Amino acid sequence: MDAVAGVGPATVRLAFPPEPRLLGTVRLVVGIVARKAGMGAEGIEDLKVAVSETCAVAVGDLTRAGRQDPIEIDLVETPDRFGIEVRDRAPTPARDAAGPDQPEVDDRELGLALVGALVDDLKTATLEGGGNRTSFWLRRDPLDPGGLGPHPLDPLEPGGLDVRPPDPDLPPPLT
Amino acid sequence: MDLDLNVRKDGDHSVLEVAGEIDVYTAPKLREQLIELVSDGSYHIVVDLEKVDFLDSTGLGVLVGGLKRVRNHDGSLQLVCTQEKILKIFRITGLTKVFPIHSSVSEAISSAPAE
Repeated sequence: MDAVAGVGPATVRLAFPPEPRLLGTVRLVVGIVARKAGMGAEGIEDLKVAVSETCAVAVGDLTRAGRQDPIEIDLVETPDRFGIEVRDRAPTPARDAAGPDQPEVDDRELGLALVGALVDDLKTATLEGGGNRTSFWLRRDPLDPGGLGPHPLDPLEPGGLDVRPPDPDLPPPLT
Repeated sequence: MDLDLNVRKDGDHSVLEVAGEIDVYTAPKLREQLIELVSDGSYHIVVDLEKVDFLDSTGLGVLVGGLKRVRNHDGSLQLVCTQEKILKIFRITGLTKVFPIHSSVSEAISSAPAE
């Protein structure tokens, strides 16, 4: 596999099937994890937009390819930054293929513009054997208090989202 | 969270109130509503985004598509939004230069051309 992210060991790892209805749940979980990591409100919103846009591209690519491979998200907390890495197994040609239902506006270009403007160190690469890896960081506002305690909402919803700590038996993230 | 849409008439304008999250899952519902409005002859539309919690690029694309449709009929599509997190999305993508964005529905209606 290509080395891209260098985000270090994941604090939380998510996996979900490529279904658009789950993107809201992904945003909810990312928001809660980032909040507990001490990110400020604006940073949390930026992260939610960036991860949602990235995952939406993956969902579209996998759907067009007729694949159900789960999309994986690593959330990484460091003392001064919060990192996210999204991995999918969409065949590479799908990313350039024109789908049968073309939107009136190039949502993907808008989405990429959004992600690029909202986050730091945006990196993308193709995975060996097919697939894509996107990673980015967001610097923690120095005024933010570290950790705000538990959120009243339960991040778990029925419907296939898998929220779990990183498996210690998995190989370490690529750097 | 789902997407709730409510349409009401205010003079020559149709006011579309949107509540919830606009993303790749819910945006088709908004697209269909805008298409239906234009098909029914509503060419001056105000989209109220004050109760929108999330907006992504798919939602932006739907709004741009709606704007193109009403312009084909010499109409208008104006937005109402005061939420900084939503306004930020429009600013980053440069769409603040495309959409008139107002702080209230009444302001939008008073500034929009009527039929």
